[in-house]
Amino acid sequence: MSITIKLFSALREALGESEFELDLSDVSEASAQIDVAAIKALLSQRGAEWKEALNQPNLVHALNHNVVFTDAAVSEGDELAFFPPMTGG
Amino acid sequence: MSVSLQSEAIDVAAEYAQLVGDSPGAAVATFTGYVRNHSDAHAVTELELEHYPEMARKVLENLGQSAAERFGLSNWRIVHRFGRLAVSETIVWVGAVADHRGEAISACDLMMDTLKTDAPFWKREQGPAGGQWVANRDSDTERRARWQSGDVQ
Repeated sequence: MSITIKLFSALREALGESEFELDLSDVSEASAQIDVAAIKALLSQRGAEWKEALNQPNLVHALNHNVVFTDAAVSEGDELAFFPPMTGG
Repeated sequence: MSVSLQSEAIDVAAEYAQLVGDSPGAAVATFTGYVRNHSDAHAVTELELEHYPEMARKVLENLGQSAAERFGLSNWRIVHRFGRLAVSETIVWVGAVADHRGEAISACDLMMDTLKTDAPFWKREQGPAGGQWVANRDSDTERRARWQSGDVQ
């Protein structure tokens, strides 16, 4: 199972990546359901800067273009985006 | 009843003509936002707007539709720019056509309040001291919340 991760704004800049595929084969075998919190925990293992960026209190998570809480379940082919609060208009 | 995400300047006169021409109504309200030359205490020389295209379109289309249902609009339009913008250039334009002025004005207010906090755009200001991402404002979040709390009809 794999999903697409997208990063925007200050998060994209801090982590130096805007979009990548995340392979979840190992995780999906180990647990019946994977949620956004599990993805954050997995990505946080990439290093201190990832851990810090993904655990900001005001971080927004969008799953398939809808803002969700961290308990939202993730499925094959989903697009999960992380970004700071929006400042358009 | 449509959304445009565009890098080019907003042709306000053309947008207005199209909004009204498509569906003449008794009351038309519009709002145009421009790039300011300052932010709080510091000067701004240029603005860069990053966006999440697929999600931005979806959020703005849903927003226009919900404003239309809530205020009985016969037409609406939301135009938002992305990319590099100079001071005094247009950033955003919304328009609403209704039977009465209250509905048309409230629809524009709702669309603006909601898009500032819910549509995935991020401003980065350039100034003499360099660039910085714009932080979200509590006042914007409070204005957004009014529409859900029933403080405004």
